[in-house]
Amino acid sequence: MLNMNNISRIYQSDTIQTHALRDFSLRVNEGEFVAVTGPSGSGKSTFLNVAGLLDNFDRGQYELDGVSVQGLKDDELSRLRNEKIGFIFQNYNLIPDYSIFDNVDMPLRYRGFSASERKRRVEQALEKVGLASRFKYLPSQLSGGQQQRVAIARALAGEPKILLADEPTGNLDSLMARQVMEILHNLNNDGATIIMVTHDPDQAREVNRNVQVIDGQLADFKIYAPLGRSSEVKSKTISEAASAAVAEEVENA
Amino acid sequence: MPNDSMFFYNLTLAMQSFKRAPTLYFLIILTLSIGVGVMCANLALVNSMASDPIPEKSANLFHINMNTWPDDQPPDEPMHILRYRDAMAVTKSNLTKGSAVFYASGVYARDAESSSMKRFDSEVRATTPGFFELTNAPFAYGSAFENSTGMEIVIGDELNQKIFAGKNSVGKTLELDGELLTIVGVLKPWLLRPLFYHPTEGRAFNLTDDIFAPLETAIDLGWSIHARSSSAVNYTGIEETRDKDVYYLQAWVELADINQKPALQSYLDNYSQQLKDAGEHPLAIKNELHNVNEWLKVNKVVDQKVLAFTLASVLFLSVCIFNASSLLLSRFHAAKFEVGLRRAIGASNRHMLVQGLTESVLLGFFTGVVALVLSWLFLKLSVQFLPRLANIAVLEPKLLVLGMLLALVTSIASALYPIYRANCYSISAELK
Repeated sequence: MLNMNNISRIYQSDTIQTHALRDFSLRVNEGEFVAVTGPSGSGKSTFLNVAGLLDNFDRGQYELDGVSVQGLKDDELSRLRNEKIGFIFQNYNLIPDYSIFDNVDMPLRYRGFSASERKRRVEQALEKVGLASRFKYLPSQLSGGQQQRVAIARALAGEPKILLADEPTGNLDSLMARQVMEILHNLNNDGATIIMVTHDPDQAREVNRNVQVIDGQLADFKIYAPLGRSSEVKSKTISEAASAAVAEEVENA
Repeated sequence: MPNDSMFFYNLTLAMQSFKRAPTLYFLIILTLSIGVGVMCANLALVNSMASDPIPEKSANLFHINMNTWPDDQPPDEPMHILRYRDAMAVTKSNLTKGSAVFYASGVYARDAESSSMKRFDSEVRATTPGFFELTNAPFAYGSAFENSTGMEIVIGDELNQKIFAGKNSVGKTLELDGELLTIVGVLKPWLLRPLFYHPTEGRAFNLTDDIFAPLETAIDLGWSIHARSSSAVNYTGIEETRDKDVYYLQAWVELADINQKPALQSYLDNYSQQLKDAGEHPLAIKNELHNVNEWLKVNKVVDQKVLAFTLASVLFLSVCIFNASSLLLSRFHAAKFEVGLRRAIGASNRHMLVQGLTESVLLGFFTGVVALVLSWLFLKLSVQFLPRLANIAVLEPKLLVLGMLLALVTSIASALYPIYRANCYSISAELK
């Protein structure tokens, strides 16, 4: 799904050269839930920015879902971001004066979908995070946890191949953080590929693989708690996985 | 229809952007509107002054200047006014398709059949019949008089409105300074900007005349000359001027083919030479033919002060664009989070450029509307200070279109740098 080989990212100021990523290599397979941890300034966010095509890299090779991203033009990179990647940010990054519906609708606008198709996808995504009835609300009328669920719905609406989450529970209290993590786990249980940057060691232990970044380099691979997903749950889109997760929850209830 | 929906989506985003910072956008619109409005008002004046009043034949109509003054004072320069016999000699040339010889006069006019004694001070053009065809005068009713003699007149729309409420007055009789003359033609509203057939003596922006009377009749009735005249002899009334050295008639000719101009020039020069040979004047042979636009240029119809002010207004507009650009830069800087977010979720640089341009086009539209209102106000204000501009301080439809285009161009120009800067930030930095 994601394959980085010897990626280097160097920030150059007048006097200082900072190696944010140094020969960074990582392979993430389809269906994996990978936590990226490390001290502040270690390069976690840079990795996530490069992985999400939000930032360039100076050296190395990066392949996303079989597409080599080196040398792609802005239009092509934008299309990749739009079609293959769903972003979940720590501070939600919702536009405050847009309704929940309009916030989730945003990435779909750039896909050229018809109005009816966009409506269907937005409603479906909001349903998956349990906010279908609140589509007319403004972000300020929701709690932090609900806002993060809106951000997850926005990431899901485009049915991406991979979800990139940058400390998705960093601004939430423990209860809300738990809700958000449950949603992410459910998505992963049903086949979604997720890479999550986190400072929380407990959250890192919950996932398939914890990748530690120190000084812009990969420190170690540790598998903490295999979740024992059935091997046949593979090659689903995240959206399909989310639907399956909801169905599973209903069944359990 | 994805493209259509994207266009309307961008329009919606632009409106939302305006709602977020109404004061800022108000200032931007006001800044650009003042610049465009002043520019447009100036262009309206220049347009009226510099436009070709009769484009369909301006190259074929020639004003005649001759120097047949009987002594060497005034200086050896051709005059734009001719004496009666010189002007008549011009009309006799078989080189021309048509000609008009006229002078300006004035009378008091009233409806001869009316019991009211109210009289209207009226401008008169005493002219040969060829004037109407030569100037393409538009008739609403009736037609031109056919001879330079006879008690017939053609009146303009404004006088017809005043006396006959705009109705067909052909056949009616006007009392003009005590003489009864019958109306044979009524003109449609006729505005010549500039008044090419008489731009001298600062009349370029006057209205067309109220009454057009046969030349010989006006002379016989003693209707005085209301324009520049020069005389080398004493005379008591205009009726004595036909065979005297009194210069007051202007002459225009129409050539079917402008290649005939040299032949006409030779005709005039030969005529002057004959007079000189006969000892009637001592001057060098120097006659001039100017077509309509040349004649307007010779008379400096386009006010140099207005031109200078137009240049100043271009500079002022540039300052307005810089100011608007600075305001937009702060607006786009404030919106960089949204730009970053949109880029992160899939908008390309091209999407953001189109979104920014859509916003600036909408801004330009609002600017255009306000600018045209301001432009109209500037023109009204300028007429208060300079009443002579009253007939040219007009926003023609093409000026409205130009004003709107100018507003769009300035709005886009002021947004280009801010849009460029907004798209220069790295996405990850914008989202932090």
